[in-house]
Amino acid sequence: MFCEKAVELIRELQRISDGQLPAFNEDGVRQVLQEMEALYEHNQADVNETKSEQRADLLPSIRLRHCCLLRNQRCVGAYLYDRLLRIRALRWEYGSVLPANVRFHMSAEELQWFTCYKKSLASFMRSLGGGGGLDVTQDMRPPKSLYIQVRCVKDHGELEIDDGTLVLLKKNSQHFLPRWKCEHLIRQGILEHVVH
Amino acid sequence: MSNPLSDNDPNQEECQEDDMTPADLIAKLEEAWLNEKFSPELLANQAEVVECVMEQLTHMEANLQRVKKGDPKASIHRMEIDRIRFVLCSYLRSRLQKIEKFYPHVLEKEKSRSKGEPALLSPEEFAFAKEYAANTESHLKSVALSHMPPILQTLDMLKAVPAPCLDSFVFLRVKESQENILVEPETDDQREYVVDLEEGSQHLMRYRTIAPLISSGAAQLI
Amino acid sequence: MDPSEVEFLAEKELVKIIPNFNLDKLYLIGGDLGPFNPGLPLYVPVWLALNLKQRQKCRVVPPDWMDVEKLEEMRELERNAATFTPAPCPYYMELTKLLLNHASDNIPKADEIRTLVKDIWDTRIAKLRLSADSFITQQEAHAKLDNLTLMEINTIRGFLLESLNCMYKLRSNLQPGSSKGPLADY
Repeated sequence: MFCEKAVELIRELQRISDGQLPAFNEDGVRQVLQEMEALYEHNQADVNETKSEQRADLLPSIRLRHCCLLRNQRCVGAYLYDRLLRIRALRWEYGSVLPANVRFHMSAEELQWFTCYKKSLASFMRSLGGGGGLDVTQDMRPPKSLYIQVRCVKDHGELEIDDGTLVLLKKNSQHFLPRWKCEHLIRQGILEHVVH
Repeated sequence: MSNPLSDNDPNQEECQEDDMTPADLIAKLEEAWLNEKFSPELLANQAEVVECVMEQLTHMEANLQRVKKGDPKASIHRMEIDRIRFVLCSYLRSRLQKIEKFYPHVLEKEKSRSKGEPALLSPEEFAFAKEYAANTESHLKSVALSHMPPILQTLDMLKAVPAPCLDSFVFLRVKESQENILVEPETDDQREYVVDLEEGSQHLMRYRTIAPLISSGAAQLI
Repeated sequence: MDPSEVEFLAEKELVKIIPNFNLDKLYLIGGDLGPFNPGLPLYVPVWLALNLKQRQKCRVVPPDWMDVEKLEEMRELERNAATFTPAPCPYYMELTKLLLNHASDNIPKADEIRTLVKDIWDTRIAKLRLSADSFITQQEAHAKLDNLTLMEINTIRGFLLESLNCMYKLRSNLQPGSSKGPLADY
């Protein structure tokens, strides 16, 4: 059946939930392109025969093949485009350096697209505010101006809070700190949130 | 002045259109943020508001740099800065997302815009959108289209990429009363009718019907 | 909209506090605040009130509506009315949650208030579901939603708008390239 390979590409993406990127199916894309080449050559030959020998009976099969060509084009386009949208989402999730296991699933051209995307985004952010720049990939969640109770998991030295006070982060000590100050330390495993 | 936070700095004239106070400016940003968040299509850019808010933030940050350590005012100012910066970033993010999602339509609309109409994109966004379009189209071309039969080597992106659905339903609050807003029927056996939208009232209806009220500021999406 | 964003908007509401410290007037970008004098009540945004409260720098005065008698009245009113009665405050649910979680020692009968607000919320959400249901089945094109709060709208937003758009697409039988293009419509 024509177009089966193309539809398989689409199914492949549909099976995998939105946020994820399956390995680039180079083989699948190549097979669709080959099928297209064959369909096109066949049609070229039939078109010539229609003209030279008045074979109107060939027209329906020419039309069928042409529809298949369009469908193949549409499916491959959709496959590539949908992958770009997923890769775009990964930039926002992971930052400008993607984890190796994600990169591994991208084709060389996709890596190049990603590099260009990163560059465009960075120069957009740099140009904001009359050249002062603003990193819009930060502040993804509304700020919480609240304090939380944290315990120090390992010695870290002094931490300066916004009002200028210094807090000594010593192993096993407990502190009441602004949440926005500790979030990255919690992620790094230096502090842990004490939940009562 | 020894304390840089203790006087209201009037040194921001370039950004004060029609005597807008910084508080008005923040209110305007928040309105633009919610409108952009809920509107199915990209709205006209508010580059001036963005620029003025950023100027306010930079100005305040600079003042904070000069404040004595331990000043309890600093942490309060910092909290406010964080709140404003969140709205600003979230607003710009919603716009970027729509610019990417609808890029062929956004660029087309910008190209066919007549001279007097307000620009859909800020200059920065326009540069970004063009790069995004070029990058995406050259990817499709090099991986697939250029290997296809000659008649299939181009793809009309305006047709290929979905356009925003203006028939989406939205929630809105009316800021200036409106009369005789035409509501189109949902089914063939219904008839169209008109509604009056009173100031302060809230409604659920199709975006297309009230889109002009959003751009004029007579209503706010919620 | 993420509920945390609705909460963020609720935090702009003003609430009365009684500070226990001295601080000059603050010139915030969004407007002036203060001065703060020990024992002298003043209004500040909720985000600041909660921060000060957590650092034990103030006592929070509950808003007028956060009162058992008043809320009981509203609950009765809400249960008996067919439509939505005016909410105690545009952010009553978020403020109840924020103030009761972070300043419950300043709010008399906090537990009763929590229950009453929950009852009012449940009654209103039940009405909202019913009206959303009839909106869809009647295939209405317009609904007036007075007295609904943002958090209430937000609880049905995703589901309701998605359903309406889905039904619209089924009904209008879109052609490729009109509204949904082939790259997304496979």
